[in-house]
Amino acid sequence: MVEGTELQREVEKIFDTANVQYVIGYSTDTRGFQVIPFFAKKKQDVAHLIFSPFCVSNLAMYLKNYKGSGKIGIVLKGCDCRAVIQLMTEKRIARENLVIIGVSCGGVIDQKKLQKKHPAIDNPQEVMEKDDDFIVMAHGKHHQIPKKEIVLEKCLHCEHPTPLIYDVLLGEKKQPYGSDSYADVREFEEKSLSDKWKFWETHFNRCIRCYACRNICPVCYCTQCSAEQLNPQWLRRSVTLSENTVWHLTRAFHVAGRCTGCGECERVCPMDIPLMLLNRKILKEVKELFEYTPGLSVDETSLLAIYKPDDPEDCIS
Amino acid sequence: MGDQFEPSILAFLCNWCSYAGADLAGTSRIQYPPNVRIIRVMCSGRVNPSFILNALQQGIDGVIVGGCHPGECHYHQGNYLTRRRITLLKVLLEYVGIDPRRVQMTWVSASEAGKFAEVMKKATEEIRKLGPLSQIKRSTEW
Repeated sequence: MVEGTELQREVEKIFDTANVQYVIGYSTDTRGFQVIPFFAKKKQDVAHLIFSPFCVSNLAMYLKNYKGSGKIGIVLKGCDCRAVIQLMTEKRIARENLVIIGVSCGGVIDQKKLQKKHPAIDNPQEVMEKDDDFIVMAHGKHHQIPKKEIVLEKCLHCEHPTPLIYDVLLGEKKQPYGSDSYADVREFEEKSLSDKWKFWETHFNRCIRCYACRNICPVCYCTQCSAEQLNPQWLRRSVTLSENTVWHLTRAFHVAGRCTGCGECERVCPMDIPLMLLNRKILKEVKELFEYTPGLSVDETSLLAIYKPDDPEDCIS
Repeated sequence: MGDQFEPSILAFLCNWCSYAGADLAGTSRIQYPPNVRIIRVMCSGRVNPSFILNALQQGIDGVIVGGCHPGECHYHQGNYLTRRRITLLKVLLEYVGIDPRRVQMTWVSASEAGKFAEVMKKATEEIRKLGPLSQIKRSTEW
């Protein structure tokens, strides 16, 4: 568990020593329980910074269009850090322009799961970590809930709870919770082609093409997205099954070997399309076919820009 | 023939090997199915997966990408990069329920006119059996 005061002290130190323009972190919303991204621009703002298991969003997203020259401080969980590493390998931002305040994370809470499983806790004010449980305070009462019940899906098989790179680390280094076996993907693979299509058809049919998945993605930063390009026009604007399917395939393919599995696309999807099932399939295949995992090392080259002479040749007829 | 389903197949052939192979098949009078429409690209590495998806949307039933044999690419590595891409694309298509046999890749050198015709015949037969692509074809023509 990371104490807010410890975080604030460290950020103050960063304002004193490193010449940062601002520090990106989390703060409380006016509604009390919800957490919003917060840009601390001067030392006085530091008092607003917090960190709690409600800090779900991936702040790496704010670095993708970095064009300045100054330094930026940023609060990162283990999973978010991988997205930043990926941005570094793609030369979007240089390491020397970043001051990373790493947070050793014990899992973050999925608000949707919490509401579904514990409807009584509709306005949690505070949350604490205690070993394998969260203690959620709501309406003056404490509720002890096992972590497994309410953490995000990605936290259940988190391999990097501690950031891989950091300047300051808050909290103790944590052991991985286990390795990711991609059980959900494997289960889906077992289905027949027509069942697979039935599943995706219902989901893609519901897509309203708001592009929230693209806008939130830390590695989707093209200045002109092919989905909005008019000449040539790859995708029509109409919201039909054909265009929606191709949009989702294009998006998944475009982040293939770059997606670090932070799960933001699925979290922000207003139609609850299980995008991570698609992304994780690619993550799994990339790992198995090409022995490649994005976002682990800054020196890596992008998956589709390199090759091995002995890559699998199953696709060749 | 007659009632039999005739698939439309699109082939992206690289300028240096596969296209020359197709050319040789033509000048050698080797028969191959007329279902295949050829688009010449300078390298199989030019083929963006968007091209393939777009073709499938526009009513093509199967796509073949032809490149030089490994190690023989005119641009040194284009075909290796395509191989990775097509491998992933096929995996992805299968995952959403579109038969991966609709997208194929092949190595055909400039001298392999016979192989070119064989691959086209085999692919046409395979896609004919699969039937028309229904999943992502656009319903409106405008």
